Amino acid sequence: MRARLFSAAVILCALALPGHTQEGHPLKGSWIGEWQGNEVHDEFVVVVLDWNGREITGTINPGTDNIAITSAELNAEDWTVRLVADTEDASGRAVDYVITGTIEDLELPNRYIKGTWQNGSGRGDFEIRRQ
Amino acid sequence: MQTFRSRLSIAVAGASALALAAVTGCAPDPAPAPAPLPIYGKFDPTQTRTLEGVVTKLDWRNPHAHIFMNVVSDGEIENWAVELESPSELHLSGWNGESLVPGDHIVIEGPLARNGSRQIFGHSVRRDGSSEQLFVLNPDLPLRSSESRPAPRWPDGHVALGATPDDTREGYWGYPSETALVEDGVDVSMNVYGQLADIDDASRVAPMQPWALALYEHRQERFLQDDPMFLNCKPPGGPRQYQSRLGLQLVEDLERQRVFVLLGSGNHNYRIIYLDGREPVGQVGGDDDNPLYYGRSVGGWEGDSLVARTVGFNEDFWFTNGGLPHTSQLALTEKFTRVDFDTLRYEVTIDDPGAYTRPWSASWELSWVDGTELPAHICQENRP
Repeated sequence: MRARLFSAAVILCALALPGHTQEGHPLKGSWIGEWQGNEVHDEFVVVVLDWNGREITGTINPGTDNIAITSAELNAEDWTVRLVADTEDASGRAVDYVITGTIEDLELPNRYIKGTWQNGSGRGDFEIRRQ
Repeated sequence: MQTFRSRLSIAVAGASALALAAVTGCAPDPAPAPAPLPIYGKFDPTQTRTLEGVVTKLDWRNPHAHIFMNVVSDGEIENWAVELESPSELHLSGWNGESLVPGDHIVIEGPLARNGSRQIFGHSVRRDGSSEQLFVLNPDLPLRSSESRPAPRWPDGHVALGATPDDTREGYWGYPSETALVEDGVDVSMNVYGQLADIDDASRVAPMQPWALALYEHRQERFLQDDPMFLNCKPPGGPRQYQSRLGLQLVEDLERQRVFVLLGSGNHNYRIIYLDGREPVGQVGGDDDNPLYYGRSVGGWEGDSLVARTVGFNEDFWFTNGGLPHTSQLALTEKFTRVDFDTLRYEVTIDDPGAYTRPWSASWELSWVDGTELPAHICQENRP
């Protein structure tokens, strides 16, 4: 419950702040949101993405979980996104995430990605907004 | 590149005794205005109207002046906002803050706001009852001397990029021959804001990566209304600083080996090109990684041309009219050549492996506007 309240508070604060303009690659930047129903890594999620001209790289929950994104794809024809990340849970069991979604409000600094996440044992809605 | 350059007629003519005004219907599609704002992001050129009404207020402020007027429609009074050019543009054409006063009866022609609000862009403004045009906003280059004058030179022999100390008159570079980036040799049609006449030409404008092309098309399809230079007064970094007819001054500080680029548009900012041999890195310890709107520029003379290299751009702005994307990997090589007294040739090579598939170049000319300082158009208060 506390985690939910914390997540909601952070997201509300994030939504209230004007986004930092990012007019380059649409995925580059810091994103904050939720992967709902995630019992392994909490529902609150931070994603940091970068673009080096050839590939998208990034990390989920940097500083805490440090989940490296192993594959990231952007289809610019419909602005769909697919992120893949491999990690472990607290017991050392492999957890492989696949996140799919679409960039909404592409033209806005605080554009967001809305879709779903799934791993071997769970799935849910996924939404992160660029900060 | 072909540009739609035509004269924007803003006219105020003799007074009329008519007290009531009316919405009179559609007018012919007026020519695109050379405003520093891509007005068609806000106003729809396919939906034009003629309005007659009574002035209630003239709001004479940067970056765009507004007339507020009452219009009678179906027996009801409606308040309309008429957006005009910037006060500096209007001033150059003979307007001032007292050109219209409350109570004046006027007729407006122009495109309506896309969002359906009671806003119209004043392509034509005249007093009711007369077609006489008192003021014409003229985007054409001021008349220049018919005699070709050689480029001035400093005592050390190198070409002066701006006014020299022995010149008695000031001046600035303005009226660019192109107002949006297009790769040299490519012929596409776009208006002065960089809006393509045919979106199918998008892929020809520059060698864009797929994401950059899709983003460029998205911006074009939205009529450039998301341009952060206008929405948020973001600086016109990169080649864009040479795309405004409001121009710029190049001020050479020979003693300190640097050139100041003073902008007449955007937020009236400046940029420095260092000629003292330093590297294009931060000038204060610790800020080397801090990307900037104008990047970090160093340069030197190659014959009669100043060549500048610039890196360290941020991604918070559009680096050209028209919305071509760039990334922080952008590196510019700019070549400034004062061909003669009245002509500055600007050549730029864009090397941005983050957004483009290969380096590419564009070039255009700016004209010397003699005997005057930079116009004082200032984007302020994020007021588009």
